[in-house]
Amino acid sequence: MRKVLSLYVPVAALVGYIFLFAPLLVLVIYAFNAGRSTVIWEGFSLAWFAEAFRDRGLRAGLQVSVIVAFASAALATAVGTSAALAVVKRPFAGKNLFSTLVIAPLVLPEIVLAVGLLVATVWTGIPLGYGTLIAGHVLVSIPFSFLIVRAAASGLDPRLDEAAADLGANGRQVFLRVTLPLLAPAILSAFLLCAVISFDNFVVSTFVSGVGSTPLPIQIYAMLKTGLTPKINALGAMLIAVNVLVILIVMGRYLKTVRKPS
Amino acid sequence: MTAARRGNLVTLALLAPSLLSAILLLVIPILIVIAFSFAEQDTYGGAKFGFTLTSYRELFQSIYLPIFVNSLQLAAVSTLVCLLVGYPIAYFIALRAGRYAGILLALLLIPFWIDFIVRMSAWMVLLGRNGTINSALLGLGFIEQPIRMIGTYPAVLVGMLYAFLPTTVLPIHAALNGLDRRLLEAADDLGATPLQSFWRVTFPLSLPGVMAAILFVFVPAMGVYAIPVLLGGGKSIILGNLIVQLFLDFRNIPLGAAVSVVLLAISSVIIVCYMRVLRSVEEARA
Repeated sequence: MRKVLSLYVPVAALVGYIFLFAPLLVLVIYAFNAGRSTVIWEGFSLAWFAEAFRDRGLRAGLQVSVIVAFASAALATAVGTSAALAVVKRPFAGKNLFSTLVIAPLVLPEIVLAVGLLVATVWTGIPLGYGTLIAGHVLVSIPFSFLIVRAAASGLDPRLDEAAADLGANGRQVFLRVTLPLLAPAILSAFLLCAVISFDNFVVSTFVSGVGSTPLPIQIYAMLKTGLTPKINALGAMLIAVNVLVILIVMGRYLKTVRKPS
Repeated sequence: MTAARRGNLVTLALLAPSLLSAILLLVIPILIVIAFSFAEQDTYGGAKFGFTLTSYRELFQSIYLPIFVNSLQLAAVSTLVCLLVGYPIAYFIALRAGRYAGILLALLLIPFWIDFIVRMSAWMVLLGRNGTINSALLGLGFIEQPIRMIGTYPAVLVGMLYAFLPTTVLPIHAALNGLDRRLLEAADDLGATPLQSFWRVTFPLSLPGVMAAILFVFVPAMGVYAIPVLLGGGKSIILGNLIVQLFLDFRNIPLGAAVSVVLLAISSVIIVCYMRVLRSVEEARA
């Protein structure tokens, strides 16, 4: 009985990890399959990748997604960083309330945020397009950039600022020569993660993308509703590769900072 | 300009972008949604501002009530499944994995950051009529006809579990990782069996993490819509689908706004309850 119990946890964890990775693995492997089957291996082929690149809708979607991801990540990182610096470095009243407001989009159901943005465009008459997409993605990304930079900034030794000030640096110099360089890796991580969040965003995009500004996930969703093709597997495999690369860049840095003390 | 005033200006300049975006993109839009939920629909698919409870009255009619029940049920069952699968994983990483904990945690984050639609299409590959699982079972001779999996409730639950499992594990792991190991040694020394020390020591101390996991799964689960469409065949309508249909297909803005307000209200109640309970737990411990 004791033995069964002590085995239960590792076995459950193993099954959990298989559950998480098996679907992705199957998707990636069969993206390279020459045939249409997802079981029988009919030989290695890059044909489906070529097919995915030839698809006009997917190409247009990719272009929209890349533009929106970079623009919204840049904005969200700037906004989140300034909010994080205010919370960590400056005294002001209502700090908790302010933090709650900044993090709120993370906790509220995303569909409600999306409805709010759509209704606001209906009310103001702002046309749907790149602008509304970027605004929506900025809204859902800010909590992430805020939390990442806040964690990094609150880990900085405040004596560094004092030392710089003692050596005659003014506020701006302290910020530009001490604080900002120390936070640069965290700000870069925040930017990359915000870009991934925007690139993957589905719910907000459903509501606020207009004709001619349909991002990639919405294109894929429309194709999935009519049926799965190996072309989508190939595209999925490429997206997985890009996402994993970004995660490894961000996490590699994070793991290094975690290991340092030991 | 005095130094103090200058400091205040810097603070204001740092706060302004996030305050502005929160007000313009979050607070005002939600206020407009609330206003539209009391508006009247005009014949052209627009809405006329006014004060009428028509939308809410329509919402509490018999055709819409099952949708609320379906959504709450799906969110509750999904949360339960996520906890049952996620807790052992969090427990393993925090208390058994030793030096592999960092890598296991990192691995957990990879599916979390992969494109949501790609993750769902991966499950469509596995579960489809001619999908991997069916073909494998047919090939091995376990079944003679492909089993219909897409379009069933278990398929939706699998999708929900896949979407929310990392979100479940992370807060529980954080709670278990902060656990003082000496408490477990003490329980052991006092003669508790492993099961007793789990139920009397480990589990109660991990409750704040479990509650955070419930919050992070239940609230978004109420608003999902792509998972039930892609894996459930879109048969049982839930709040997410209803909102999308009302806004994008039927152009019924007042009714769509009313559904969104109800969803927002339920979520807010849950969030406030969570904060209350968390505070009382922290106070009891202090």
